[in-house]
Amino acid sequence: MLSKKVIFTFSPQNVERPVTYQLIKKYDLWINILQAKFKPSLGGKLVLELKGEKNQIEEGLNFARQIGVGVEFLEQEVLWNEEKCIDCGACVSICPTGVLSLDKETFKLKFDYEKCIVCGNCVEACPLQAIKVTF
Amino acid sequence: MTIQRTYEEINTKIRSGKAVIVTAEEIIPIIEEKGIEKATEEIDVVTTGTFGPMCSSGAIINFGHSDPPIRMQKVWLNDVEAYAGLAAVDVYLGATQLSERQGMEYGGAHVIEDLISGKKIKLKAISRGTDCYPRREIESYITKKSINQAILFNPRNGYQNYNVAVNTSERKIYTYMGILLPDLGNASYSTSGQLSPLLNDPEFTTIGIGTRIFLGGAQGYIVWEGTQFYPQVIKDENGNTIYKGGTLAVIGDLKEMSIDYIRAATFSGYGVTLVVGIGIPIPILNSEIMKNVAVKDEDIWTEIIDYSFPHLKKPSLGRVNYRQLREGKITIQRKDIPTSPLSSYAKAREIAQKLKEEILKGEFLLQEPIQKFPKGNKFKSLLEIR
Repeated sequence: MLSKKVIFTFSPQNVERPVTYQLIKKYDLWINILQAKFKPSLGGKLVLELKGEKNQIEEGLNFARQIGVGVEFLEQEVLWNEEKCIDCGACVSICPTGVLSLDKETFKLKFDYEKCIVCGNCVEACPLQAIKVTF
Repeated sequence: MTIQRTYEEINTKIRSGKAVIVTAEEIIPIIEEKGIEKATEEIDVVTTGTFGPMCSSGAIINFGHSDPPIRMQKVWLNDVEAYAGLAAVDVYLGATQLSERQGMEYGGAHVIEDLISGKKIKLKAISRGTDCYPRREIESYITKKSINQAILFNPRNGYQNYNVAVNTSERKIYTYMGILLPDLGNASYSTSGQLSPLLNDPEFTTIGIGTRIFLGGAQGYIVWEGTQFYPQVIKDENGNTIYKGGTLAVIGDLKEMSIDYIRAATFSGYGVTLVVGIGIPIPILNSEIMKNVAVKDEDIWTEIIDYSFPHLKKPSLGRVNYRQLREGKITIQRKDIPTSPLSSYAKAREIAQKLKEEILKGEFLLQEPIQKFPKGNKFKSLLEIR
């Protein structure tokens, strides 16, 4: 089974579609809602962790795209600018899921996208503004 | 036989390429293997390093005179005000001064970083005008090449030891020690521990006025004790010695620095600061000095301070050592608390290595202090007198 973190962007046209319901029902996906921000009738963002067979995930995402939902993968939206990073570690203690850590040998920052729930704590904590969440 | 060396003997070895130099981290296993005496015989210099936020920093800039000339009374660089109460075209740009348009997103430290990177900086100055300086306003652009001097002069850098910051309140707080989560949600600390310059020469035997140092990628100097210089040696109930309170005033040519070793930073909700890279070589003049550089993270203790308390004297929640801090979590009141360093250990290590390489190449010679720091300083608070 594969696990993917995705960000769905809804427009006023598709915000009322029961997308998660259909992903579960039609494509047999496990869904974990990590974050949801909606403004009624204006649209919104949904951060999801999807689990399922590779083809089921692909088909489910295609379905979402077909009805006009923007689909991005989390690693494209949470950007860590390694060039800017000074490995100070200000971010490591405020990350609730252990995405960020300092390597025990090199003391350089490690960024484990798999664990990210896009809480945005690190964005605020980074003194060099080296982490961005683009949605 | 007890080894004694002079600065001159060490410099002669450096010039002939025969000096043996290691970093303050590399020396630890050497001493463990060979002992203090043997290590003293073999090693001439130990290099230290630190790369952390140091707010009391800034730059002296001389723009050169325009025609007609102006006696600048108020000056802005990229909308960040610089202090102009000096001669006509001299200013002091403080690292923490905020932009008048962008607020905390940009400040004096960012202007310093942009100057070092060679970027164009917008200059605006106003004046009342005088007979000898008739001009009342100027707007122009400067770069580090267009100006006469850009001298980094930091009145307080390189803190010997610093508190661990935590927050016992129910609210997230924004401090110069970073974001502190409620209910002891995290802890932050800021020194390079066993690599830190002033923890490797805790009683200022070799570090003093005139010491040549690595500063922001260039060669700089210690020019005075730092402001709030108040070295303390505390013996705690478990027999540990805690050194704290030493600081340095440093100077160097900004034009020669590199943003690899000096950077602007913003602490969310607090403000702008400058992350300064400093490396200091410790000459191994005798075995007493070698004993000092043998210091390890587990020997260096510091106080855990509750930053949610809004007064000057904040309560202590106990002590920890840097080994515990660097492992990533500490325990306070039976709770495991994740830690954040703030000062980059990876960079501190890089600086100590770079300084070692510069000395090995004969590009960096050791300078004996021309004067020692004062002893018995008092730490004064500001009294409110009405």
